[in-house]
This record gives sequence, C-alpha cells and structure tokens, in this order.
Amino acid sequence: MGLPGALPVLNSKVIEFAVKLGLALNCKLSLNSKFDRKQYFYPDLPKGYQISQFDIPIATGGYVDLDLPLEFGGGHRKFGITRVHIEEDAGKLLHSGNGDYSQVDLNRAGVPLLEIVSEPDMRTGIEAAEYAAELQRVVRYLGISNGNMQEGSLRCDVNVSIRPVGQSEFGTKVEIKNLNSFSSINRAIDFEISRQALLHSQGQSDQIVQETRLWEEGAQKTVTMRKKEGLSDYRYFPEPDLPEVILTPEYVDSISNSLPELPEAKRRRYEKMGLSMQDVLFLANDMNVAEYFDATLSSGADIKLAANWIMGDIAAYMKNEKLSINDIKLTPQELAELIASIKSGTISGKIGKEILSELLAKGGTVKGLIEEKDLIQIADPVEIGKMIDKVISENPKQLEQYRGGKTKLQGFFAGQVMKLSKGKANPGLLNKILLEKLNGQS
Amino acid sequence: MGSRALLMLTNFNFKATVSSFGSASNPFFLIKNNLRIRNFSTKTRSSLQPPDLPGLAETARISLAPNEVEEFAPKIGQVIDWFGQLQAVDLDNVEPAIRADTEGDNLREDVPQTFENKEALIASVPSYEEPYIKVPKVLNKE
Repeated sequence: MGLPGALPVLNSKVIEFAVKLGLALNCKLSLNSKFDRKQYFYPDLPKGYQISQFDIPIATGGYVDLDLPLEFGGGHRKFGITRVHIEEDAGKLLHSGNGDYSQVDLNRAGVPLLEIVSEPDMRTGIEAAEYAAELQRVVRYLGISNGNMQEGSLRCDVNVSIRPVGQSEFGTKVEIKNLNSFSSINRAIDFEISRQALLHSQGQSDQIVQETRLWEEGAQKTVTMRKKEGLSDYRYFPEPDLPEVILTPEYVDSISNSLPELPEAKRRRYEKMGLSMQDVLFLANDMNVAEYFDATLSSGADIKLAANWIMGDIAAYMKNEKLSINDIKLTPQELAELIASIKSGTISGKIGKEILSELLAKGGTVKGLIEEKDLIQIADPVEIGKMIDKVISENPKQLEQYRGGKTKLQGFFAGQVMKLSKGKANPGLLNKILLEKLNGQS
Repeated sequence: MGSRALLMLTNFNFKATVSSFGSASNPFFLIKNNLRIRNFSTKTRSSLQPPDLPGLAETARISLAPNEVEEFAPKIGQVIDWFGQLQAVDLDNVEPAIRADTEGDNLREDVPQTFENKEALIASVPSYEEPYIKVPKVLNKE
C-alpha cells in the first residue's frame, strides 16, 4: 500500500518460477539480474512506482514452438520470445458506472508476477491466440500457474502494426487492451489489422497513430482509449530496496533436471508414435489427458486403440457429465486391461463398450466385471452352432422365407442368437456358422 | 559520461612498454575484449546540459511557479554537477557493476503472512467505500 517505512522483500518462489519459465521457453538466463523502479502515477499504484526489471531481465532471447489447430489450417510455427522478467503487480482499478469516481482494490498490489514479451513474429489473430494458448499450456505443465485468463492469472495485451508488402520497416504500432480470452485476442487482432488496412487503402495511413485502444467485446471492435504522445518517461533507476538476483549454475541445473516433459516435446513424441496430428493435439493439449494417455500406454495398451478410446467414448462421457479426466472412475490401468481383453478376444468389442460406461461411472476392475456378469465371449463353434440350431428350430417361418430369397433375414437370426447368448457370441464366428446353417450346409 | 565515451571510442589501448615482454621497437597492443556496452537505464545528462525543470516537475507532479523554476534550476544544476565529479574517475579497468551492495540475497518464503492490524490500514484510507478505496476517475496513465 505504499506505507512509509514498509520495504519490499523478494519472494524466493518467483525466482524459481522465472527460471523454470525461462528454461521452458528456451531463453538465455541472466545469472545476475536486478530490479528497477518504473515510475508513473496511477490510482492502482500506491507507491507511485512499480518494481520491475528494465535493462537486465532474468531471461532473454528464447522461442516457443507450436502447432496450429487443424481447423485453422494446421502448420508448425516458431515464435521468438524477447524477454521474461519479474515485476510486481499493481492493484485493480474499477470504473464506476456513473463516471465521476473509480474504485481501487489493492489486494494483489505487490504480488510478484512474470511478464513475457514476444518478438513481433505473429501474422494473424489465430497465430497470436495459439501463442497465448501455448503459454498457458507451458505454465500449466510447469505447475507455476493455472493460466486462467478469466481469473486474471494470465493477462494479455497486444501490439499490432501493418506494413505494405515489400517494406522492411514496421508500421506504427497500436496497443490493444481488455482482452479477456484467447478468442478475443484472435478477433481483436484481425479487426485491428482490417481497420489499419482500410485506412491504408483510403490513403489515410497517417490516421494510424501510436495509441492504446480498448477491445469492446460487445461491439466486436477496438476503440481509442488514449493517445500516446511520445514514449512515457518512466525514469527507471535501480531499485535500492531489493538485492541483485544471483543464479548459480547448480541452481539452474537442478531446476533444469526437474522440468517435466513440455508440450512441444510431448507432441513430437506422440507424432513419432505414429499418431495423426489431430490425435496428437487432442492428447497433448491438456496435461491431464496426456498423463492419462501415457499411463494407459505404460500399462501395456496399444497406442492407437488407447488414443481412440480416450478421444471417443471417454471424451464423450466427460463432455456429457461435465467431468475432467481426473474425475472419471476408470483408471488408466483398467483401460489398458479393457483394451487387452478385447484384443485377445476374451470379450467382444460390443461388451467392451457396455462395461466401459459402468467402469467410467463406478470404477471397478475389468476382470471383476467380466467374472461378475459372466461376460466372457463365446468363441466355441460347437456351442455357437447349438445356439443357432435352437434359434432356427424356433423360427421355421423365417427360415422358409430366408431360403425363399429373403436373405436379409440373416440379421434377424443373428440378433436372436446374440440375445440367446446374452451378447457374448463372437460376432464373426456367429455369422459364419449361421450362414452355413441357413444355406443348409450343415 | 566522459570516461565511458572514451571506452566506447577506442577498442584497444596502445601501451608502449619497456618491460621484457617486447622490445622498444615492437610495441604491443593491449586489446580490451571485456568491454560491455550497456544501454543506460536513465537519460544520461552530461554536466553541460542544464536540467529541464518544467519537464521534471511535470513528470513528478509537482507544480512550480515561474519564479520557482528560475530559483531551483541552477540549484538542481549544481547538484547534478556535484555528481558529475564522478566523470573524472578512470573506469578503464573496472567491470560495470549491476548493483552497489555486497550483501547476499535476502529472500522470503512464498508463505502468506497475516498482518495483525488491518483496521489501522483501512482507517488510514481517506475515502473508503467498502471494500474499495474510492479515488477520482483517472483514465490516462501519465
């Protein structure tokens, strides 16, 4: 709150998180960095300055790899990261409805945060939105933030400029604030590109000035907030109340060795396993889904089958019940068991789907359910033959119709045998023997 | 800054030596390869440039009458010149320091600590509209 006599003390965790993030974003870490005072007046900044890192940030010169979603054309992108630095948060400023006063909430003032600045490498709204989504993925994988834009755990401002094809200098850049979701990042940027392009085409490119605009979600457009007359003079000087941040190589190495497999590495590994890009993106984008998938594989499941079950029936269940994969009762080990049971022919695919719903909702083991409900597939030709004989003998009229030419009735007989076997008959065998018997060959 | 400008202009120091390393006819060049050209964090002022007092007052949100500007400008200029004495120091062999302190790190654990006297904090707010601090509407940052 800027109370006289109160001094800041550096939070050790933010250094750890900064190093994790810097490494995950392939940056060069500054083993020695310092803090600076960024001085300006605003109601949400009680001290009149914000403690930040100006000329020697903790990490510089990195990049992030990502794959664009297939519905937007797909493709691999690599975007540069200019820097990552530590700074303190300001309070929250709310403007009242009737306009003659504002309200300040200082609860988050002074809380440390990490600012990530990208190189101007993105060319469309979707590229920028995916970049933001990848940052969210990375901080979640690292466990340093939940990255929720709605909660303000991840905030984003963008700067947009355009230039005529062939011109190497960048055009005038415009800042856009009030972006609260990935989709608003996408739409605001595309809008702003069009707005600037229109001015260019009308010969009014000088109307594009360096300013800050607000994205209006309702109207789906950017509007002027304030015009920047020149760059602000923040009068940076080294923060005297905080010590130098010194990273030892041992500290950095220990953090480096503790990093989990990051999204990009996971995507490339899944790709090498032979999964399609669509599968790769679905499985790797959510850390929990990836973990579940990896656990299923390490229990011995077939890669493609595991992917299909997770992306198909299990995803549908989660969507229906509004559950995350951590909430379902089916464990990865049991999923692997289910896949193996079907693959080995112990149970049929149809039965497998049936017990899946029970396993998802109530848990339990595959083996247990098979035993409890007597679900083992009947694959003995003799036994199947007996059942077929019974059904045929009980339905002479249909047999006559079949032999008279209504071959579609095979389905009727097959259904009856299935019913008799309580769904356990092996479908392939059933139909083979059924056909033989119907045609009078046995 | 005078001495830094000197460092930037010359990439090597030519030292003629009479030691045993080289003969008098073969002077050797001492090449400085540990130069760090840094961007300065504040506007550098040479002692020749007078301070822009109206500009400073504006950014510091301090109102000055014209006579005050006239009175204070030379005084502030004197303070700057007083610091300008540092320009006489020879920094040729000095690695730029990031900070001036020698103490180790003073860090805190990432554990919340309750402040016992929140009432006093809130009581010190001149215009409180629970749970917010009421302030005049300001849209522009500087």
